Amino acid sequence: MSSSSCTGEYCNAGWSEVLTSMSPYGWGSMGLAFGLSLSVIGAAWGIFLTGSSLVGAAVKSPRIRSKNLISVIFCEATAIYGVIMAIVLNGLMKKPEGGIENGSFTDEWNWSSFYFAGYGVFSSGLSVGLTNVASGVAVGIAGSSCALADAQDSSLFVKILIVEIFASALGIFGIIVGIIQSNSCQFPYDVAN
Amino acid sequence: MNENYVAGFDACPTWSPVLGYAGAAICIIFANWGAAVGTWKCGLGLCGMGINHPNGIIKNLIGIIMAGVLGIFGLIVAIILGGGITGPDENGMATYSQFNGWSDLAAGVCCGATCLAAGYATGIAGETSILAVGVRAMGNKHRQSRGAPGGAGDDFDEGDASKLYIAGVTILSFAGALGLYGFIVALIIASTPGYYCSAD
Repeated sequence: MSSSSCTGEYCNAGWSEVLTSMSPYGWGSMGLAFGLSLSVIGAAWGIFLTGSSLVGAAVKSPRIRSKNLISVIFCEATAIYGVIMAIVLNGLMKKPEGGIENGSFTDEWNWSSFYFAGYGVFSSGLSVGLTNVASGVAVGIAGSSCALADAQDSSLFVKILIVEIFASALGIFGIIVGIIQSNSCQFPYDVAN
Repeated sequence: MNENYVAGFDACPTWSPVLGYAGAAICIIFANWGAAVGTWKCGLGLCGMGINHPNGIIKNLIGIIMAGVLGIFGLIVAIILGGGITGPDENGMATYSQFNGWSDLAAGVCCGATCLAAGYATGIAGETSILAVGVRAMGNKHRQSRGAPGGAGDDFDEGDASKLYIAGVTILSFAGALGLYGFIVALIIASTPGYYCSAD
């Protein structure tokens, strides 16, 4: 302990006490919730960006209707990444069966694995969620301009679709990193762990 | 036990129902906020379309119905979450664990935030698509009335505006499916068995 740390009754012992004072079940559940919610927020943002442009441009040139629905499907895919990650992370969250006596954890409880799993699931959820917000918005704006360009000149559709494919790859990066991060997370669920 | 960890780290603290009830509240609040935004914007689009194309009003109510369904998702999940929160037993010990509390909060945030996002998408895309159907129908009627040979009747049909309507309904379906994803994940989270403390 450094000599400059405060020792009054309202001071905490530093970041370790602050970060460990929230239960790892809390860290994990919030990561799951953010993973799904932020992914769907990105997907919804993209859908209304591209959908309103698509239908508005289709008033004067109805031929673009069916082809440009693929932009909406790209946005929906970012939401599905969030759903996949939420189901994976939900499978990792295990209840503390066998590790609790008289309302508190036993002495053999694997605390380091417990905290590691909580932080890992939280960061995994944030990885997927925040990258899917960016991916959804990017696909939405690119899809909106794809519809407008296609309405003017139909040879531009495939060229701008390539931009959308790169934009949706951002979401795939997020879910790959999320799966890698959550692979080594194991919540202990009985004293043998 | 390692002294770096905070003392008194309980499995079933007395404050864990805060998390569960916050999850139920966030679910119903955000889901109905999204449903309200969807209803509002689709309703304004419908009224704008109905000025010049009143025949299409009944068909275009689909956007408002799909927005309302998002509110029902929030209602169902909030009732399920609220029903799973148990109070203290006869000795005054808490029975609802932190594991349950945090997972119920996550389920509530999942359903609420996704239905909120789906409501905004339904509203903004739905308003534009309903107005676009009206504009296309009005344009088709004007083209027919200009081409009609002797005298104008008033039963011109809306032509190919129904194809534009189908595109709009497809986009609304994709937007509404986002709320369904959150609903399904919230039900999966709420149906995994939780941990309840009982007096040993």
